[in-house]
Amino acid sequence: MNAFTLYRRMAGASIKAQLRYPGTFALQLVGNFVTTLLSFFGIWSLFHRFGSIAGWDIGAVAVLYGLVNVSFSVAETLGRGFDVFGSEYVKTGSFDRLLLRPRSTLVLLLGHELRLRSIGRFLQGAFVLGAGFWLSPHVSWNTVWLLPWAVMGGAVMFLGILIGQAALCFITVEGLEVVNVLTYGGVEAGQYPLTMFARWLRRFLTWALPLSAVCYYPALAMLNHPDPLGMPVWFGLLSPAMGFVFLALMVLWWRRGVAGYVSSGS
Amino acid sequence: MTIRPYVTSFVLQWKIGLRYRLAVLAGLVAQMWFGAISLMAYAAVYHHAPDVNAPMTLRQAMTYTWIQQSFFTLLPLGCLPAIGEAAKSGAIVYDLLRPVDLWNWWLSASLARLLGNAVPRAILLAVVAGPLAALVGLNGWSLAPPASFEAALLAVVSFVLGAFISASIVMWWNIIAARTLSPLGTYAVGTPLAVLLSGMLLPLPLYPDWARELLLLQPFAGISDIPIRLYMGMPIPGGILAALGIQCFWLLALTVIGRFWMNRTVSRMEVQGA
Repeated sequence: MNAFTLYRRMAGASIKAQLRYPGTFALQLVGNFVTTLLSFFGIWSLFHRFGSIAGWDIGAVAVLYGLVNVSFSVAETLGRGFDVFGSEYVKTGSFDRLLLRPRSTLVLLLGHELRLRSIGRFLQGAFVLGAGFWLSPHVSWNTVWLLPWAVMGGAVMFLGILIGQAALCFITVEGLEVVNVLTYGGVEAGQYPLTMFARWLRRFLTWALPLSAVCYYPALAMLNHPDPLGMPVWFGLLSPAMGFVFLALMVLWWRRGVAGYVSSGS
Repeated sequence: MTIRPYVTSFVLQWKIGLRYRLAVLAGLVAQMWFGAISLMAYAAVYHHAPDVNAPMTLRQAMTYTWIQQSFFTLLPLGCLPAIGEAAKSGAIVYDLLRPVDLWNWWLSASLARLLGNAVPRAILLAVVAGPLAALVGLNGWSLAPPASFEAALLAVVSFVLGAFISASIVMWWNIIAARTLSPLGTYAVGTPLAVLLSGMLLPLPLYPDWARELLLLQPFAGISDIPIRLYMGMPIPGGILAALGIQCFWLLALTVIGRFWMNRTVSRMEVQGA
């Protein structure tokens, strides 16, 4: 059985398991949808009071918001195994068992759970994204191919964060909530235009964590909006590739972590 | 009635909260990050629209955000984990068998958990965001001192009331956890409600005008929004007495109705396994 078939089976089993409790599942789905929608209500209220966010209209911000939430929801769906890696695998020692299996640890952990409740965030993000395009005057034809490209770049970048966070658990054993700064904090930062942040944060969010490369710059290209910071438009067409680069770096780091892994005993 | 068992329950949860020093530091970093992002957003918004007559100044919005961030763990985000787990495993029967008043027993544990988490973080963050930020020249971004000595005293009283309101709401989550036999539902419902309605997401005064008074009158405003307004000396419709009155009303209502509801739940509860 190749890795893909194996993953499909694991994902199938995970979906069946989650649908076993339809009541809980429905509640979590609704909860997820409402939570994320409420956070957009906060941004909307700022617009309502001040008219714009630093000169950006609500259409552009809705596109940013939708893009980052859709990307993150995809990563959240796939990467649950990495999210709980510290507490459920390293601390308990059950990672030893994964190492005994003749398959890549990454595939096995991806198969830990295919988390369906993130569909709530996905739907809500897609809804806001659609509204954003509808409200924006100059949506370009590039959007047709740029949108899936940017979402893919964003999803793999967030997946990269989750993998990097899991690799950190080889050192810290217990997962640390501080890495939420990059996941949930990334979503929080990604929904605002990059121009409103201080320069050190802008650099960090472009070159260290390529959040703006998968969200802000592609969104500018899709909306035919010139960058106030002077980055040329073609950058937004190519920049989602940086998400893949980020993922590759994190996978390398993960390999190093696995090679040096010492079991905590079980 | 002796008070000792409740004190023991409080001290136990308080110590658990202080146990994880690394978690406190990690939480500090996270809170500073989220605070910084919000602050930059508000700064950009305010500077770009200087003639909008906002109900609070930028400086007030920043102070508000810092205090909200420092008291993040004081919010009733879900049930007390120990009670949620006990409800799931059936170990909840031990709590039911104790010769103590169940409400006070759980309330003291919930309050200790909230305070044990929140107080060390709040002190650390207040030091970093207040005097330290001012020292390194970030005066415009720092946590402002209280409006006056009087305001500080009022805020302390109000914060204590707020902590009790929060613990009472946690009690409601505990009851829901005991009814549904799982803590998960309370987190799914409690976290978004608490984050939105307490003013964590966006300061309550900045919401659209039609929503502002309604937002002030709901119980979550009493946890941190009202104390922060008193701290900054912001005018509150109805004055200081109305502010404290809203808090007392909710504390009383949550306790009376909650006790009644808990007694009904407990008398009908069926515990499986254990």
